[in-house]
Amino acid sequence: MIIGLQITAIVFSLIMIYFAILNYRRGEINGVEIFSWILIWSVTIFAISFPDILRTFARAFSITRLFDLLVVGGFILVISMVAKAYISTRKMERKLNEFIDKDAKKTARNFKSKNVSEK
Amino acid sequence: MKISIVIPAYNEEKRIGKVLKDIKKYKLPVIVVDDGSTDKTSLIAQKYSVEVLKRKINLGGSKGAALKTGVEVAFKQGADAVILMDSDGQHEASDIPNFIKALEKGFDVVLGSRNLSLGVPLIRFLGNKFASILINLFFGIYISDLICGYRAMTKEAFEKIKWESLNYAVETEMIVRLSKTKLKYCEVPVETIYHDKAKGVTIIDAVNTFFDVISWKINL
Repeated sequence: MIIGLQITAIVFSLIMIYFAILNYRRGEINGVEIFSWILIWSVTIFAISFPDILRTFARAFSITRLFDLLVVGGFILVISMVAKAYISTRKMERKLNEFIDKDAKKTARNFKSKNVSEK
Repeated sequence: MKISIVIPAYNEEKRIGKVLKDIKKYKLPVIVVDDGSTDKTSLIAQKYSVEVLKRKINLGGSKGAALKTGVEVAFKQGADAVILMDSDGQHEASDIPNFIKALEKGFDVVLGSRNLSLGVPLIRFLGNKFASILINLFFGIYISDLICGYRAMTKEAFEKIKWESLNYAVETEMIVRLSKTKLKYCEVPVETIYHDKAKGVTIIDAVNTFFDVISWKINL
């Protein structure tokens, strides 16, 4: 791996750890989440620093090139994150709709039995 | 039979007035569901002495959600049936008696059917026909105009075909759920005037609905 690319990736990972700590201090993420993020980025830094370790994993999955392993891993990560984001957006949308619906119906009660006519 | 009209509306300040004025002559109670409009839709609707329900936030084409809000309120207030109309002036109020007649004849669900060979953009015509055939293949029900929003249904029918879709897939979902029941339904021809081609169902909505259809096939 090119040393410049390694440095860039390590700097990026460190910045991400900084943001994780910042969000934790602001109370936006809890203790478990900060631990998870620091662990993820630390493992990333370790893997970037010693890329040969990843070759063992690559061989285990019959992947010859390290780059291919990273591409496959990246795809899995992105797809799972998109799926998670989709599900959570749907949940939020439903909850928000329930709230909007209830709020809209509150004003309707004042009109009870007025809004119906015989045909 | 007690009948209410439910109209979901989003940023229709230019047309909602005429729609309500035309409906007024039929002396039916009207519920306008303002789906988070940022213009004067609510204010204009209120001038016509109709009930206006305000959904404070628009969830991005949340027609299904707005319809459900309005229909649930109408039935809670004692209506036996509702007529659903669009707020963009696309539907003619003069077709209302046809829906009432069909409901009084004993149909549980009455579906408006536009003459798709007249005035409908070609892409919509083809899309609509494709969707009708697809739904027929998947669910064994053929409706000539699957996405026409001009419809009527009884309270009993609503309980059986109550939709989950928050968006423009609502019309298609109604048909899919209808295919799973023994409700009596019919189609009535309705006039259609296209004002704004940018509004309503877009190609993206159609693609999303296609995925919804697959999901209904698996889950319903």
